[in-house]
Amino acid sequence: MAEVKRERWTGRTTFIFAAIGSAIGLGNVWRFPYMTYEYGGGAFLIPWIVGLILLGIPWMMMEFGMGRYFQRGAPGVFEGIGKKWEWAGWWPVSVAFLIVTYYTVIVAWALNYMISAATMAWGVGAAGAAEAGGYFFGTVLRLSDGPTVLGAPVLPILGLLALVWIVLFLIMYKGAAVIGRVSVWMVCAFWAILVVLVVRGVTLAGAAEGLNYYLAPDFSLLAQGGVWFAAFSQIAFTLSLGMAGMFAYGSFVAKKADLTNSAFITSFSNCATSFFAGFAVFSIVGFIMQAMSIPVGDVSASGLGLAFVTYPAAISMLPGGNAVIGVLFFLCLFFMGTTSAYFLAYGGVIAPVMDKFGLGRVKATFIVCVISFVVGILYTTSGGLFWLDMVDRAVSFYGLLITGALACLVVGWGFGAGKLRAYLNETSEIRVGAWWDWMLKLVVPAALLFVVIYGGFMKDISPGGYEGYFGWSWPIWTILGVTLVLSFVLQAVKTAKGGE
Amino acid sequence: MTTAAVVTTIIMWLIFIGGLGFCFSRLGKGGGWED
Repeated sequence: MAEVKRERWTGRTTFIFAAIGSAIGLGNVWRFPYMTYEYGGGAFLIPWIVGLILLGIPWMMMEFGMGRYFQRGAPGVFEGIGKKWEWAGWWPVSVAFLIVTYYTVIVAWALNYMISAATMAWGVGAAGAAEAGGYFFGTVLRLSDGPTVLGAPVLPILGLLALVWIVLFLIMYKGAAVIGRVSVWMVCAFWAILVVLVVRGVTLAGAAEGLNYYLAPDFSLLAQGGVWFAAFSQIAFTLSLGMAGMFAYGSFVAKKADLTNSAFITSFSNCATSFFAGFAVFSIVGFIMQAMSIPVGDVSASGLGLAFVTYPAAISMLPGGNAVIGVLFFLCLFFMGTTSAYFLAYGGVIAPVMDKFGLGRVKATFIVCVISFVVGILYTTSGGLFWLDMVDRAVSFYGLLITGALACLVVGWGFGAGKLRAYLNETSEIRVGAWWDWMLKLVVPAALLFVVIYGGFMKDISPGGYEGYFGWSWPIWTILGVTLVLSFVLQAVKTAKGGE
Repeated sequence: MTTAAVVTTIIMWLIFIGGLGFCFSRLGKGGGWED
């Protein structure tokens, strides 16, 4: 292996904050709290912690470790294991590229709402709460009737998307040094805002009732497989693994530095943030239930519905400080989204492109930003939300899980789990034992494939397909197939070794 | 909040604070940050 001069994090703090920033994303707010409520409240937290220890942390150690061992992004890592495996590194790069093209559009929506919240554009009081859904789907998205009715790009969102990509370019074009420093600032800022939101939430009337739905355990559900499936899938999605970026982030770590303890700190910090964010979400759910006299089942407490309908409706109903809380909430989403977006773009796409094609950082960053922006225009159209939903299902569900399982199998059996463990332990602050080998070789890939088959494939092949778009789920398989074909094409491209 | 919800909250924070506390107690007991 040729010796390469690799860019480096400026220190441990910047590395850990960059990794935490990449892991903490919109899902911490809009997925985890709802999953906890849906699958047994406090009882759900048991399989979730088990999944974190057995699945998430070993997987993160693998991505950090392989990135540093080969001093390359994901494709370079798999090429290092064997030229025939390079495509297995390009596949998650393709996945990361598609994710960032729509993820940045959601960040643009958050920016749009941050501006709108300053004037409470969707209204205050009961009238504003009733208007929140119409404002999001009608005024902001100008949603069409279906994916075949695209319409023109919605100009305010298009403009904000361009702004998001300019901000990302300015953060990324100087590489890991600036990314690390920005991450420290942004992660601390969104933690501080989250504290404000939780304090405001739990002091509202009805908050306690909402928190009871979130936390009161129903242990009888632990006997059902669905709870364990849900917990493992949540862990698989929450740590930003399977998206190529952690290989690159690991490759920027100094060769004598610890990786195992950093993986523990990153994972625990991410999960603690998820748990804490649940207080902000379910206190607001309780408040809405009481203020509007509706049952918990009628409150949208997950996904886009939570962020862009339920929360704005709750903000309208607040007894005071509506605009301040509104701006802070969407600023928090903006920070969460931005730290994950530059992780996907830089660690997931730009670093591998620099490695393979020998491009300079500024040039590679500029090209990736422009192409990603152009692809992202699709999601700013009136039919964009439908396409965002389908692409998300294809790459953020299937792509992430399948490429993650593949990576663990190739590394565990092809490179050697024991060899990687010995390498990690040379510098580790928390030594890992032989148990870790079997996590990587069997448990992690088996759990990821279980989620793919049980939670995805069995549903999406049913009549009507995913959400019933086009009458079947062929767009999902097409998108996934395109990313796979692209991976083989990228492997086949001959280039002079770059970045050396 | 019900007692069960309060107990869940306390246990989870003990796990997170204990876990992170252990991790921070191990800092500096492995490799360094210079190449």
